[in-house]
Amino acid sequence: MSLNELLFAPFADFGFMRRALAGCLALSFGATPVGVFLLLRRMSLMGDAMSHAILPGAALGYLAFGLSLGAMTIGGILAGLVVVFAAGLVTRASVLKEDASLAAFYLLSLAAGVMIVSLRGRNLDLLHVLFGSVLALDDQSLLLIASITSLTLFGLALLFRPLVLECFDPSFLRAVSRLSPVAHYGFLLLVVFNLVSGFHALGTLMAVGIMILPSAAARLWTRSLPAMLLFASLSALASSIAGLLFSFHADVPAGPAIVLMCGLVYFASLIAAPGGLLAGRLPSRKHLES
Amino acid sequence: MLSLSRITATLFATFALSTGAAHAAPIEVTASFSILGDMVREVGGDRVNVQTLVGPDEDTHGFQPRPSDSRRIGSAQLVVANGLGFDDWMIRLARSGGYTRPVVIASTGIDTLAKGAGDHDHDHDHDHGTGEGIDPHAWQDVGNALRYVNNIAAALIDADPAGADEYRANAERYSGQLKALDAEIHKALGSLPRERRKVVTSHAAFGYFAHAYNVEFLSPVGVSNNAEPTAKGVAQLIRQLRKEKVAAIFVENISDPRLSERISAESGAVMGGMLYSDALSTTAGPAPTYIAMMRHNLHTLMAALTSAPPAR
Amino acid sequence: MPPLIRFENLTLGYERHPAIHHLNADIPAGALVAVVGPNGAGKSTLLKGLAGELRPIGGRIHLPDLPRGGIAYMPQRSEMDQSFPVSVFDMVAMGLWRELGPFGGLSRAQRHRVENAIEAVSLSGFEARQIGSLSGGQLQRARFARLILQDAPIILLDEPFAAIDARTVEDLVHLILHWHAEGRTVLTVVHDFEQVRRHFSTCLLLARELVAFGPTSLVMTDALLARARHLSEAFDENAPECHVAEAA
Repeated sequence: MSLNELLFAPFADFGFMRRALAGCLALSFGATPVGVFLLLRRMSLMGDAMSHAILPGAALGYLAFGLSLGAMTIGGILAGLVVVFAAGLVTRASVLKEDASLAAFYLLSLAAGVMIVSLRGRNLDLLHVLFGSVLALDDQSLLLIASITSLTLFGLALLFRPLVLECFDPSFLRAVSRLSPVAHYGFLLLVVFNLVSGFHALGTLMAVGIMILPSAAARLWTRSLPAMLLFASLSALASSIAGLLFSFHADVPAGPAIVLMCGLVYFASLIAAPGGLLAGRLPSRKHLES
Repeated sequence: MLSLSRITATLFATFALSTGAAHAAPIEVTASFSILGDMVREVGGDRVNVQTLVGPDEDTHGFQPRPSDSRRIGSAQLVVANGLGFDDWMIRLARSGGYTRPVVIASTGIDTLAKGAGDHDHDHDHDHGTGEGIDPHAWQDVGNALRYVNNIAAALIDADPAGADEYRANAERYSGQLKALDAEIHKALGSLPRERRKVVTSHAAFGYFAHAYNVEFLSPVGVSNNAEPTAKGVAQLIRQLRKEKVAAIFVENISDPRLSERISAESGAVMGGMLYSDALSTTAGPAPTYIAMMRHNLHTLMAALTSAPPAR
Repeated sequence: MPPLIRFENLTLGYERHPAIHHLNADIPAGALVAVVGPNGAGKSTLLKGLAGELRPIGGRIHLPDLPRGGIAYMPQRSEMDQSFPVSVFDMVAMGLWRELGPFGGLSRAQRHRVENAIEAVSLSGFEARQIGSLSGGQLQRARFARLILQDAPIILLDEPFAAIDARTVEDLVHLILHWHAEGRTVLTVVHDFEQVRRHFSTCLLLARELVAFGPTSLVMTDALLARARHLSEAFDENAPECHVAEAA
């Protein structure tokens, strides 16, 4: 098989491959940076919690508009926002930490969602309907992820300094600026948008996987935040391309293939990177003079 | 002496006898699956009480008979099966249930086709129960259904000679409807140009339909078995659709409508609705009887084939 | 001269238990005050109240009108997440927040000031290092550098010398004295009585209530210190409601 056939032809010949690539590109530069911050703030499990938390919103959308993806996605976003903001409020105003308050709200949300769905009488797996697949990106989904990515890049650029400060020294930020809640909630807003649009377009596995795995890998290599963000995004993109090609040539499901590629990068980093497992054990080079 | 009570008694007795004659206890018939059950009902009318073992929307291929089925068959006066390897278990079940009369094979006398005739290679992982490779879905050709009706009528007359006239009348009426249906299908599909009559469907059950009505049925390449579509699978399907210039595709196992849309957009093939192959739908659905089912399939095919863009 | 900070019948506490009980004191502008007392005396609480992190449950704190960031507060070290990837330079530069706002980039002049602040705390050469790689003493110096850049008229330091090496302590004390010389008002929680006696002219002795406030030599007497020690350290779970009259 020529190099062209291996690497370029799949994308040249098929529209769905090009769309998948476009979707992954958007996600790598929108969702992945958000994932880096999630990782640093120890909120990596939030993606999973969110995939359950959006159920009542999607259910209400379904009750009102039937199986309309648009209505259910918007409902999902609203539910996600409510859960995340409520959890954020509780964290800031009570003794409960982020994990406890988020867990409490997403569980309540999921239970409420299940009850709402059962009102219609049918045992419908709404979430299955709501979650998309990377090979099935229609115009609407592509537009959604592209918009969210733009919003995210803009938001992160705008909020970068307050966000960073809020991550590592929140009391200082509170002391010098009124922007502390803006940074906090603004970030959570970006998280919800990225997660829900990711679910809608690509399904939960891919959406969360592409946020967290490249971030974890990047963390192992560098301790500079800008470098981390760049590494994570580039490795997410590379993994996406590799995953799509793997799915194409080896006949395996695409979403999992991409996430597994991200995983390979992660494992390689775990072993080889300065922050990883081997770093402390290999005989090191001579130390520096000072 | 003709007392009032005696006259009344006689009148009652006569009445009872005549009603009894007009409303004799119905013949118990057990049919293997829903399509046969429907046909038996059409021919038998009020004189039969039909039980079907594999009901609407159920799958004959994976059917596991239960003890209650065995009992039901045992008390039947007539057992009807399709044959051709489709429902061999029916014969075994009948024997084990104590049914001693011969099982009526509805497909007796038709010209059989080999499995795979009319469609290209398929990943058919169903077990039709025979290694002979004969396609059992003979009812997909309405011409064969006429033969089914004749066989069923003959069997009913044999089991219940008293109802012979009624059975013959019903059979004739029903056959008339079937002939009209057959003509309808021929006409509709015949109105399409040859190149247009090419579809892809996941269930390889339309060999007789393909043969009778000159429609080519292809099996989808790539997406038939996987739970989640792979890029390779989608690509292969699109290639196939483009190469064969297929006009419409009816694939039930691509559950994501967005994926269907993408495949459709890239290949030019229209994504059709659902085709019924082995079973009727419930009364709430679009194919509660055999005739309704064939009509539904026809309309579904026509809708897709006429809306597809001109073949490239 | 009117006092800069006035505590009026101030009660600060947690869940209705007072950590500071009916405190009355006036802090003049430009004072250099050491806040001393036994454990649990309410020293950190007092600074938290001044910094605005804790609302009084009784009484008031009178402060001049200051813009946000006009009070520079350095809490005890535990608050910062050192594992976060940020360089010393960037962390110190946050001290210029009031001037920069959330978006502005650093001008050359501002970059110089950051470098100068880092130099002032003897951390030159550490600009590019991650804060996670700093020792306790080095991190404390970095926090002081940030404080320098905040350029605040009131500076609150909560146990700035806890578990710090002697050399760093000496350097930081010089910095504090420098601030005092610049006319800033500085309140510092200090445990080391030697340091208090040597460097701090004014002393506030707390044991949940005000024990004494005034020149160090008059406050840091054996008698007063003993009295402070005797006062209860633990909150009384069954304390009755307080009936001391609130000031009008």
